[in-house]
Amino acid sequence: MSSRVSSLQITQQTEGFNVRLKRLPPTMIIGGVILIIFLVIAFTAQVWAPYPAAKTGTGRPFENPSSKHLFGTDQLGRDVFSRVMLGTRIVLTLSLSSTLLATILGGLLGLSSGLIGGWFDQLIMRLVDIMISIPFLVLALLIIASAGPELSGGYFLIILAVAIVYTPRITRMARSVAIDLKTRDFVTVARARGESTLSIVWHELLPGATSVLLVEFGVRAGYAPIFIGSLGFLGFGVRPPTPEWGLMISENRSAIVSAPAALFSPGLALALLVVGLNLFTDGLARVLGRTVRPGA
Amino acid sequence: MNIVIKTILSRVFLAILTLLAVSMFIFWAAEVLPGDIAARVLGREATEEAKQAFRERLNLDRPVHERYLIWLSGAVRGDFGHALASQRSISEVVGPRLKNTIFLALYAFILYVPITVFLATISALNRERPLDNAISLLTLIGLSLPEFVIGTLLIYIFAVNNPIFPVMANVQRAKSFWDAVRMTTLPAITLTIVMAVYSVRMLRDNLIEVLESDYVRMATLKGLPRWRVVFFHALPNALVPALNTMALNLAYLIGGVVIVEQVFVYPGLGTQLVEAVFLRDAPVIEAIALLVSLIYISANLFTDIFSILSNPRLRTG
Repeated sequence: MSSRVSSLQITQQTEGFNVRLKRLPPTMIIGGVILIIFLVIAFTAQVWAPYPAAKTGTGRPFENPSSKHLFGTDQLGRDVFSRVMLGTRIVLTLSLSSTLLATILGGLLGLSSGLIGGWFDQLIMRLVDIMISIPFLVLALLIIASAGPELSGGYFLIILAVAIVYTPRITRMARSVAIDLKTRDFVTVARARGESTLSIVWHELLPGATSVLLVEFGVRAGYAPIFIGSLGFLGFGVRPPTPEWGLMISENRSAIVSAPAALFSPGLALALLVVGLNLFTDGLARVLGRTVRPGA
Repeated sequence: MNIVIKTILSRVFLAILTLLAVSMFIFWAAEVLPGDIAARVLGREATEEAKQAFRERLNLDRPVHERYLIWLSGAVRGDFGHALASQRSISEVVGPRLKNTIFLALYAFILYVPITVFLATISALNRERPLDNAISLLTLIGLSLPEFVIGTLLIYIFAVNNPIFPVMANVQRAKSFWDAVRMTTLPAITLTIVMAVYSVRMLRDNLIEVLESDYVRMATLKGLPRWRVVFFHALPNALVPALNTMALNLAYLIGGVVIVEQVFVYPGLGTQLVEAVFLRDAPVIEAIALLVSLIYISANLFTDIFSILSNPRLRTG
């Protein structure tokens, strides 16, 4: 008897899931498929990539695409197809970890700032204003310039720079949610129960802020590959011979006449990843009943 | 006192305070955080006397707050000191670069406004039809392409395959004004694409909303020609909320210019900043970062003032 009930519940649940899957916005499904492909490449490329990323002399320099080198070769005769595929993991790791760090930091700071109010809120908001008043790329370059030589070219510095640029923007967003929520009864009750500030942020505010933070995460993550690629293109990203796409585009610029595939294939990969992330976020925002504001 | 003037004055005051705080942050990040500048510039092998002489010349032996005040009082008068690498006066090095960057930014902005209005109007008038869909697909593609990919594509199409424009935009060598314009065209178009992508969609949505309003229907029923209705009745009202994005884009321009200049090797503030970060040339980094932030904060301030002035509720109060 009991097993029948539970199986009934399960069918109901799966039906509900199917219905919801059908109602998912098409943008979310297309974006999701693109993201899954990139994730699969990121996790498996080590196994099937034809050549190691840094192996030089796999062909002549600046070869055009052929069956042996699908995207041609670069200046040092490295296989561009292998480098683009193997670079997927690096770009995804850098983009997602920096955005995640910023969302956690900004979420906690913004929610507690809005909840506590007073001078603490004033202080945090003025700091946010200062950080936002410096154009984001200039701020990132300032952070990179201030780091010592032992940090430059490392993953840590790039993640830190992107996270520091994103955090104040997310903080502002989270704060406005906290201000909206903090006058509600459940927060008043929690306060009356004598819960600590951190506990109220965690148990009472975070559930209400989840959808805002998720969409914010998606929007920022959608721009992060471009941001990180820009730093790589300028020469402030990861060190060569790491196959980061922005760095590859900058390295292969001299191929623009003889082997343009070496230059444009990392650009295409970057654009596809960003399209995937943006479509998925757009769908997610619709499911959660929010609108995505580009830019800002 | 009039409430509008009061609000505007308080915004100006706030902007000055923000700029002051930003200058502290920039000074701290470029000069205090990296540690011993003397050792970094002169190398580890430098003798203690040489380092000491270097510190004295740059006032590095003074306390931080004194150094900041000396730097700030110079900066206000346009004197940013000397570059560490070239020993030249910074205002002399940065001045022409700033002029070039402003030239590029102005060119891009002049292209950007009419292109955005044109594309958005076409989109809104052909709503949900193939032309509208094609334009929104194009904006989606543009949205996911970074500046350095768009710029490189443009070089590939218009400089390598069809040599209409030069690959590098060395405007220092331009023979005439029109030669400089020709050199700056591709970088300006790159910036225009990136900015237009953000605002075409928004202006289109505003325009559609306005086109469905009663007063536009009234104008149509009055028998006015379609173009008159669109350009003189609908567009002005759709533009006002979009102006905010346009001003924000002006602020973006100042940052995005760094990458575009690098793509085209354009001798502007951006390439200078990248070079200075490579050399860890703190005085140059400070000067450019402060200048760029000043432009950014002023652009935001003017947007603020404009929206205050265009808000009738504040005007009557």
